[in-house]
Amino acid sequence: MDITESIQNSATVLGLAGRLDGLTSGTLEQKVDALVAGGAKRIVFDCGQLLYVSSAGLRVFLSSAKKLKTAGGSAAFAALTPAVREVFELSGFTTMLEIHPNAAAATAAKP
Amino acid sequence: MQSAASPRRRFPEPFPVSPDTRQVLTLRNDLAELSRLTAFVDEFCDVVQPGEDDRMALQLVLEEAVTNVIHHGYTDGQGHDFTVTLQLMDEGRVCAVVTDDAAPYDPLARPPVDVDAPLEERQIGGLGVHLIKRLTQHAYYERRDGKNVLTLERAIRRAS
Repeated sequence: MDITESIQNSATVLGLAGRLDGLTSGTLEQKVDALVAGGAKRIVFDCGQLLYVSSAGLRVFLSSAKKLKTAGGSAAFAALTPAVREVFELSGFTTMLEIHPNAAAATAAKP
Repeated sequence: MQSAASPRRRFPEPFPVSPDTRQVLTLRNDLAELSRLTAFVDEFCDVVQPGEDDRMALQLVLEEAVTNVIHHGYTDGQGHDFTVTLQLMDEGRVCAVVTDDAAPYDPLARPPVDVDAPLEERQIGGLGVHLIKRLTQHAYYERRDGKNVLTLERAIRRAS
């Protein structure tokens, strides 16, 4: 999995590409932990290039949203691919998490 | 000999039910083995040619089942081998079996996940088994000959 990082509208956008599975989820978790420790309040996970997510990835998404909320911030998820959307729906993530059609909409939204 | 004037009509090819469609992979209880599992499922799907959603579902349920064995199966810190079998049962059904000789453990016995819980109350664990149950038609566990045998069946459709 590749992770790119950028700042848009004072939100941190993490572009995820490839597979977020038991092998790669730890890398994303460390990235998010470092951002939250550095004071990030708004993180947008841009899933437009994310082809696969397993429960290991869902766990990181869920814990990231919880950590940000505890820190007074929020997480958003953008541009879900069909495969990722299906897993989100089966897990109840589409109703529990903030979902946007694209990263621009997610950074413009006021949570 | 085929006439050049009558191009061959393209019917969908039948499912390739053959010995090739039963594949066995032996894995070590090491998370790094997940990449071999991914390649194994992809090779099987390249032969059977299910739809993309079926390929993803098979990748997912096997990652979840194998990860469970690697994380929870063996507690002695030693290396152990266990097996994954993928088989095309008939034209529309794939059977995946994970067999390990760790202590008896039924992953399917986990309490269900409350998928309607809000973020604050949502538990972090249990999603893997939840996804296994949602993405298969049949999932059953048995202890047989001193081994844990987890059998997962999924109805598949060929890509249209």
